[in-house]
Amino acid sequence: MNSSKHDDPSASGRGKRVSYVSLFFTFFRLGLMTFGGGFAMAAVLRHEIVLKRRWLTERDFIDTLSIATSIPGAIAVNLAFLEGRRLRGLPGGFTAAAGTMCPSVLTILLIVRFVAPYFDHPVIAAFLKGCAVAVAGQIAFAALSFARRLRRNWQNITVCGTGLIILGMGLHPFWAVATTTLLGYLIMRKRMMPYDSTEAEEIK
Amino acid sequence: MQKLLLLTVSFVIIGIGAYGGGLVTVPLMQHELVEIRNFLSMEEMSRIVAIAQITPGPISVNAATFVGYRVCGLGGALLTSAVVVLPAILILSGLSHIQERMAANPHLLRVRRGLRAGILSLLLFATWSYGRGVVTAFPELVIAIAAFLILTLFEKKVHPLAVIAGAGLVGILIF
Repeated sequence: MNSSKHDDPSASGRGKRVSYVSLFFTFFRLGLMTFGGGFAMAAVLRHEIVLKRRWLTERDFIDTLSIATSIPGAIAVNLAFLEGRRLRGLPGGFTAAAGTMCPSVLTILLIVRFVAPYFDHPVIAAFLKGCAVAVAGQIAFAALSFARRLRRNWQNITVCGTGLIILGMGLHPFWAVATTTLLGYLIMRKRMMPYDSTEAEEIK
Repeated sequence: MQKLLLLTVSFVIIGIGAYGGGLVTVPLMQHELVEIRNFLSMEEMSRIVAIAQITPGPISVNAATFVGYRVCGLGGALLTSAVVVLPAILILSGLSHIQERMAANPHLLRVRRGLRAGILSLLLFATWSYGRGVVTAFPELVIAIAAFLILTLFEKKVHPLAVIAGAGLVGILIF
């Protein structure tokens, strides 16, 4: 990977040198605790890595968190990759990302291998149905929390409305993401509005 | 083999589109895997989402492992799990040299603002499209609304995992 030459050598030497094994298992444990999404993990990660182990400074952590949330993809994995890379360069990034993903992949493999054949058993089917229905409520709740963080100005309303129209027409959600990003970039100006509060600020 | 290729493409798209992670993945998965490609039925997808929410790890990775295994066994599972995080890892790898300044970059701030409002539209849409897919009778509607109310009223006091698993137990009693 040619990007390794971009890595700032000082970035990997901050604090004490962490071994790959310890990096992997620390993030393995964090991955195990990522119930309920990336932000849940971010809080635990801050506790483990910044406060307890002192591998990174608070400043480093807040920077990486805001980058991890600016990039598509699972926040937990993005965050692990960035923290791992800060500590041990690119190989450290892959080690931490793999460590975070392992518990999740292993759990699902066990479920798909040993539980999935019984999915149609009445009790298991009813349990999963109850969970799946509750997730609909959880999505509504996620929408509400997201909406509460955004300011009610015409820019946000226009962008959100455009997204809804695209989705309502049955186009691929990917186009909604792409169009709203572009539209937002064009109509949002830095001076015109104060910050919408971000998750990164809420974790502090 | 062709199926595996299509699956790979689907998960690359899910990996790129799932900005903000978590539940934003649901409408993307529903569109890619259920509506366009027919890899899963709506019921299967809702089961995968349910399992993803009560097991550790991001929904996108959980779903990738599950669907990959279903379509192509262990190899498929490992491939799709890697593929779903690949776009993000590649972007992050390429961004390293401007990493320090990125968080404060005004262009990036504008992109992020637009995305955040866009993501809200995705979540609102998912509430309707996923909700319509799983809520087909009155008792289901009651569970979904109860979950929403508990999460909203007891925010930060009740763990979402407890709400989802609790709904599963209620499901055993009434379905």
